[in-house]
Amino acid sequence: MKYKYLILFFLIVSVSGCKKFLEEDPQGLLVGDVALENVDGLNAQLAGAYSCFVQGWDIGFASAGQIAASMGGDDLTTHPGLNKAEFREFDQFNASAFNARSYYVWAGCYKIIQCANNIINNYNKTKGDEATIQQIAGEAYFLRGFAYYYLVRWWGRIPLITTAEFSPDLLKTPKSEVADIYKQIESDLTDAEKMVGDMKVDPGRINKGTVKAYLASVYLTETGWPLKDPSKATLAAAKAKEVIDDHNTYGFALFQGDYQKIFTDAYSEYIFAIMCNGNTVGNCFYGASARPSDESGGWDDYCAEINFFKKFPAGNRKNGTFSTEFEVNGTAKSWDEIGIKHPYYKKFRIQSGDTLSYVSNSPIIFMRYSEVLLTYAEAEARAEAPNADAYAAINAVRERAGLNDLAPGLNSADFVKAVIQERAWEFAGEWHRWFDLVRTETVKEANSNRDPNEIPLIGDPGDQKNWLLPIPAGDASYLGH
Amino acid sequence: MKYLFFVFGIVISFAVTAQRKQITGTVTDSLGTPLTGVSVIEKGANNGTSTNNEGRFRISLKENAILEFSSVGYVDQVAAASSGNLHIVMPVSITTGRDVVVVAYGTQQRSKMTSSQSSISSKDFEAQPVSRLDQVLQGRTSGVQVTNTTGAPGGDVRIRIRGANSITGNNEPLYVIDGFVGADFNTINPDDVANIQILKDAAATAPYGSRGANGVVIITTKKGKSGKADFSVNSRLSSSKIIKTYDVLNASDFADVVNARAELDGTSDVFSPEQIKGFKENGGTDWQKEIYEEGLGQAYEMNVNGGSGNTNYFISGAYENQEGIIKNSNYKFYSLRSNLNIQLTKNFSTYLNINGFVRHNLNTFIQTGTANPVVQSLAWAPTTPVYDSSGNFTRKDPVGSQAYNPLAEALDRNARTDDYSVNLSGGFLYNITNDLSFNVQYGVNFDNGQYKNSGTRYVAENTYAGRSFGNTLNLQNTNTLHYQHNFNGIHDLDLTAVMEVQKDSWEGFNVNIQNLVYPDFIWNNLALADINGVGSGKTGSSLFSLFGRVNYSLLNKYLFSATIRRDGSSKFRGDNKYSYFPSVSLGWILSKEKFIDNLNLFHELKLRGSWGLTGNQAIGPYSTYSTYKNVSTAYNSTSFVPGIWINTAENADLKWETTEQKDLGVDMSFLDGRIYTNIDYFIKKTKDLLLANGLPNFIGGGSIMLNVGSVQNSGWEFTFGGTPVKAKGFSWNTNFNFSLVANKILKLSKAGGDDWSVSSGTNWGSEPDFRLKSGESMGAINGIKYLGTWKPSEAAEAAKYNNVPGDSKYLDVNEDHVIDGSDNTIIGQGLPKYTVGWNNTFNYKQFELNIFTQGVLGFDKYNYIYGMMVSTFGDFKQPTSADIKNRYIPGVNETSDIPAFSKTNQNIPLSSRFVSKGDFLRIKNVSISYNLPKANLKNIASLKLFLSVTNLYTFTKYSGLDPEGANTGSGSDVYQNFDYGSYPIPRVYTAGITLTF
Repeated sequence: MKYKYLILFFLIVSVSGCKKFLEEDPQGLLVGDVALENVDGLNAQLAGAYSCFVQGWDIGFASAGQIAASMGGDDLTTHPGLNKAEFREFDQFNASAFNARSYYVWAGCYKIIQCANNIINNYNKTKGDEATIQQIAGEAYFLRGFAYYYLVRWWGRIPLITTAEFSPDLLKTPKSEVADIYKQIESDLTDAEKMVGDMKVDPGRINKGTVKAYLASVYLTETGWPLKDPSKATLAAAKAKEVIDDHNTYGFALFQGDYQKIFTDAYSEYIFAIMCNGNTVGNCFYGASARPSDESGGWDDYCAEINFFKKFPAGNRKNGTFSTEFEVNGTAKSWDEIGIKHPYYKKFRIQSGDTLSYVSNSPIIFMRYSEVLLTYAEAEARAEAPNADAYAAINAVRERAGLNDLAPGLNSADFVKAVIQERAWEFAGEWHRWFDLVRTETVKEANSNRDPNEIPLIGDPGDQKNWLLPIPAGDASYLGH
Repeated sequence: MKYLFFVFGIVISFAVTAQRKQITGTVTDSLGTPLTGVSVIEKGANNGTSTNNEGRFRISLKENAILEFSSVGYVDQVAAASSGNLHIVMPVSITTGRDVVVVAYGTQQRSKMTSSQSSISSKDFEAQPVSRLDQVLQGRTSGVQVTNTTGAPGGDVRIRIRGANSITGNNEPLYVIDGFVGADFNTINPDDVANIQILKDAAATAPYGSRGANGVVIITTKKGKSGKADFSVNSRLSSSKIIKTYDVLNASDFADVVNARAELDGTSDVFSPEQIKGFKENGGTDWQKEIYEEGLGQAYEMNVNGGSGNTNYFISGAYENQEGIIKNSNYKFYSLRSNLNIQLTKNFSTYLNINGFVRHNLNTFIQTGTANPVVQSLAWAPTTPVYDSSGNFTRKDPVGSQAYNPLAEALDRNARTDDYSVNLSGGFLYNITNDLSFNVQYGVNFDNGQYKNSGTRYVAENTYAGRSFGNTLNLQNTNTLHYQHNFNGIHDLDLTAVMEVQKDSWEGFNVNIQNLVYPDFIWNNLALADINGVGSGKTGSSLFSLFGRVNYSLLNKYLFSATIRRDGSSKFRGDNKYSYFPSVSLGWILSKEKFIDNLNLFHELKLRGSWGLTGNQAIGPYSTYSTYKNVSTAYNSTSFVPGIWINTAENADLKWETTEQKDLGVDMSFLDGRIYTNIDYFIKKTKDLLLANGLPNFIGGGSIMLNVGSVQNSGWEFTFGGTPVKAKGFSWNTNFNFSLVANKILKLSKAGGDDWSVSSGTNWGSEPDFRLKSGESMGAINGIKYLGTWKPSEAAEAAKYNNVPGDSKYLDVNEDHVIDGSDNTIIGQGLPKYTVGWNNTFNYKQFELNIFTQGVLGFDKYNYIYGMMVSTFGDFKQPTSADIKNRYIPGVNETSDIPAFSKTNQNIPLSSRFVSKGDFLRIKNVSISYNLPKANLKNIASLKLFLSVTNLYTFTKYSGLDPEGANTGSGSDVYQNFDYGSYPIPRVYTAGITLTF
């Protein structure tokens, strides 16, 4: 009897003698280098890079973060009270390192860079269709250049990271000079230009035309503050011209339908736009964010400055850009009758489905074809003198807006001024104006004539320190302020 | 430590010999069965023997010597050594009592223990309504801190033994239920518990090696007693009510405040005079009233307990249904247990414990953040009605909040967990000889955990639902060889050798959907919607351990114990897989020495000391690797594309976190044990701290698991208790305990220095709200120091900060006239320092009154939710706190430290303005019970009726709803006492009846 039980004991004990007992075998968890071994893995990492744009209020460009960080421009302001302190700080040139709004952009751009670095440093080892690999790697180069382009314009000197792999030394990366960041951007975009195909694989991705258009934009920015390298104007004009000449190849055109529709699904107009879908990959700065409290569910995050609105030339573009009539408790009120007495941006209203929502499938548009035209016009004028093509480019934009052609025979300086002004109208609220004011060193000028109903300034818009944002508090402990 | 050895040497040399005589005798149990191996010792001398197989002994003694008899499992006896044959009867001691206690991998006589270990027996809590084990642990013994992070029934708790060692987050003690290591205490019905052991010092916990560092709780369930079947039926009804709500503005005051702000901003009035008049007459919405309700509860438990022939059994079943005080929240459980013991042959027995447990939690996880009825009830304007004109929920608040309707948050957002667990533990025990036994035990722990969630259009922009499903399987085999022998009654040797293997695995999947075609189907028909996320995963880990222990006692006075455990874990790589965890402890029972005995003061006096190492491997599997996480994006507006992000960085050198603990203790009792006290001092040093270290955003964020530094916890524990009054018909039993734990970070090694600002991720904007700094305690609160408002006399100074009198004044640490991150200092301590518990039982005739008081002292709380209510940040567009009426108003109220409505005022959410002392003393429970006199009972053994109130009264200065609840979560000790609107702790009234027959 008792031996029967003893045998039982030893059976149980011997179960655990196996040698592999203490070895790990991760299943279903992506670990280490296997991730980018094949094209599908490389594609997943690229999707990871694109996903950085649309992470709600975590990181990226899906909430009104980039709009907040651009409030130093004369096109954007916010509510003087409520819970809008974070927005106001930018409008008042008083941004704090704790401001979560600029943090979203900072963290989003650097996450894009990490994803892109992982592709760029590993695609040579990936097995699969060579053309697909080239396309993915090219998009990665573009996204890295794109992210640095945004970072350098908002923060100036920043750390230049070109590896995805962690090492403790990485934490000690010093901040690079602005000129070095631009070198990296040019080099990335030049690489991307060679690798990316002529047509977008999906509406939310990029093509060769996108890369060229950004190269043109980067060169144009380099002609202004802080690098002030006039020689880049020729390069900018040449690149923009390539896009214009081949716009059919890339599928780009100036959208000619209802002006307001440009901001929902005018895909041919989009040089670069991120697509959104539902709650999880949603656009959160259209809708509630862009509506006044007076309307049901409006958040009052941002609206138009009064003088900007008043000076805006009338026409279908003005009508498609601003909301001036609101329904308040069943009665119609004009913009100067509602709470904060400001016009709002109609272009950021949700146009179909649940229009009261704060999240929508509206695209996040970074560059439209009209910008390529205006970049060309300005660059051409800066490089030499405004020629017929430059006039044609700006007049195409004005024509669509319902305006007359620009007066002929302007000198370079006046022509450039006219283009900058045209950009202000055309891209009102689209976080371009701030960058234009900084590169042309006109921040103070633009903020000198504020309507008395605007929020009073705290910081000095003429102080170049206020043209850059403080590094977010968490990272500042590694990088300094 | 050293001096204990020294004392030992001196005492041993005292042993002397004198004139002798021979004594013989027999020792039996109460039934007359001879007892083998009973230690027989001449009191006060170096002389002893033990009984043989027939229970006989023979010993030569001095004249007038006293003999002491002791044996594990029996009550100690003392006898005068008269001539002739002695017959000593040793009754069986009840294992729940004070004599024999369950220790790691065995049992031990309490008097011979050299470790610091506290016990709670079922008697200690049977007078109170208890539905979960954490309520038993709370406040009842020194060194244990239990905090409710939420007041929801069945919600999270935080349990710490001797402080927090680790900053990775997991400082939960290890639970051992009937020998199963790493069990879940949530799956046990407290009525099934016979006793609980709390292992505190290294001598007690080192047997659990790599899992022992946070302390160990050993739970032993009830076993069947021999004899006829006893039935017991227990039923309780309860009612829970909210204790306190925030003082918020009424509708007309709120309207005035909103208009006052609009006037300042230069915007038009939001409310017209007629509207305000209307609010004055008709009132507005009291959102807090809308979301809270009375929560009813019922609980039933029944068990049968007995034995016949070779089989003893304990079988129980229980059901409990407890509603929460927030509408649409509740906790239910069902449990069934069967504990069997069978004596197969004379030397061979088997046992099997089966526990089935089902629990359902609905909306009991409401803890923090925006999507939360508690937070929204404080954010929504009192001027906004609950329902719109068509009778639906008001979807958007036009004035107050940017988020969803509070009542919709309670009723229309569902998060439900369903857990189905089966725990089996069984084994064989074979007594190879009288001294040597072999025990094979195996355990199977299976848990199916399901999570279901859904929301309607009133709590999300698109309807959503989701389900997840996970199976956890833990297998364990423990083989124990145990030898015990008493040599000549002088040397008592107890050896234990254990081999143990454990294998854990988990697999699961989840599906999330949005835009439901039929929203009423919620998670029950996932196909009729847009699928926006599907996931699955699998993990596994294993542990292989060897353990040995020597317990030696000389003359039942000088005690020595040493243990060693070697653990091998799959979670580490190479040589780091294995580690050794030793411990040594010593004890000296001074009361058995003549010079103490002669004092006639002590019933018991024991000194003990211990040293040992324990570990913490509480990190997930695959933590040494660089891993990716899944993300999702869209390339068009109709579909999703799966993507990946680098999430964690590789660290192949990762190793165990090791805690070295030293303990010195003294146990004393007086007046035949009527009064007792225990005092312990301990120092715990934890090195190679494991930390999931967040990486800065500029290198891509994510985290890396690192061994980063060391933390020290040191402190004192006092227990004082007894029966001060024992008169005819009346007695008073009391137990008071007090613990002090001082936590200090000794070293942090990381690029970036030894001072890190870290973010709990729960505040608005994920700013660094806590700080880890060497020399400071964990849980240090980070922020800007608030100095009140600028006063009119300080106008010139205020101007340097672009401020005017009435604006917030902050401490400008670096005096650069800018308040920014460089001005952050430590503005509070979130980690509590002192814990107090006081349990009193008064018996008068058939009545029993139990009063249990508990307190936690020496900590601060971030009242973040109050900050939102009074200074409008996050999704609060307007102030809702009634305190705003007392704000600074130029020319009217210039003494107030609540800033004025001003264009230049800066409200910094993370400032000391919203940090308040959290100290509290709470009358946790008062119950009164009545036992029907036996004379009045026919056919039943006993009938008891009771009434009780839980959380009767709280003494505190905390500004929020509850100083005990409202933490960010139960996991972390770095981020704690951050109050962002958690589920309030209720007051509970209970009536019950217990019947045995």
